[in-house]
Amino acid sequence: MQNNQQKHNETKKLRPGQLSRPKNLNLFTIRLPINALVSILHRATGCLLFLILPLILLLVQLSLSSAEQYQMVVNILHSPLVKLILLGVAWAFFHHFFAGIRHLAMDIHWMTSLMKARYTSKLVLVFGAIATIALAIQLWI
Amino acid sequence: MLLELLTKRYPGMRAWLTQRLTGLVMAIYSVLALLRFFILQPESYEAWLSFFQPIWWRIASLLFWLALSLHAWLGIRDVFKDYVPNYGLQMVLQKILLALLWIYLAWAGWLMLA
Ligand code: HEM
Ligand code: HEM
Repeated sequence: MQNNQQKHNETKKLRPGQLSRPKNLNLFTIRLPINALVSILHRATGCLLFLILPLILLLVQLSLSSAEQYQMVVNILHSPLVKLILLGVAWAFFHHFFAGIRHLAMDIHWMTSLMKARYTSKLVLVFGAIATIALAIQLWI
Repeated sequence: MLLELLTKRYPGMRAWLTQRLTGLVMAIYSVLALLRFFILQPESYEAWLSFFQPIWWRIASLLFWLALSLHAWLGIRDVFKDYVPNYGLQMVLQKILLALLWIYLAWAGWLMLA
């Protein structure tokens, strides 16, 4: 039996010293296991949180600077579209938070077997969802 | 032993441990902030001002932002290392990142202490 790697090596003419390896960069052929999903979301949410830092500082500055500015910030935050965006940002934070805690747990060798890791991945997603829903209830009711 | 990992002799371990410790600091502050918010329920300008009045809270907030700066520096730098193969461009992006984080830190410091 030949495996794909061997087939690949035979069909491709290599320059001396060139490494042969199948390149498979079609992202749609890569399955995303739940641990990978939590991992890539941790990265994506970390980047998103970084990007909104100036907005956070601006909101804090305005809200503290005077009663009028405070009222303006409150009005902005109470508009339905902004509330929706806020919820998205909050989810990003909750996910990064819980996935971060999961990282810390694994770093001290808790929950590191594949079964347990898959379980804690689900927990991270569920906790993120619950926290976001709880906030949504706070914001709309 | 653990603190030895924070010295320059182990740059990789140092970055790794710093990322964990800053993560921990931010996690603790976030829980505290949420608790304080739900206990004090600052629903007016005056209440909001007094939320940020205690000096210990300002210092805690600044400590949080300091941890955040270190954390984001290491975190986003890792992302650049992974996805920006062009070394020159990567260095440029790193410098922009560093400049932004310094500006934000100064901004946060001014907000909390001025
Ligand atoms: C589609 C699947 C995958 C995705 C989306 C993914 C995503 C990521 C991301 C975003 C990171 C950096 C952040 C973090 O540690 O959470 C990472 C790190 C890492 N991944 Fe994956 N990964 C995948 C599959 C794999 C597989 C199959 C392996 C090993 C067999 C693997 C091994 C690692 C290792 C060792 C690190 C740590 C690298 C370091 O700390 O420098 N990953 N992965
Ligand atoms: C709330 C507390 C937080 C905790 C517990 C936490 C935890 C962590 C941990 C443990 C890592 C390391 C992951 C790895 O090695 O792959 C990490 C990565 C990262 N964090 Fe955080 N974090 C927190 C808040 C933040 C904030 C506020 C930001 C935004 C400025 C942020 C941005 C990042 C970025 C960009 C990475 C790199 C992601 C990667 O390499 O895939 N984190 N976080």
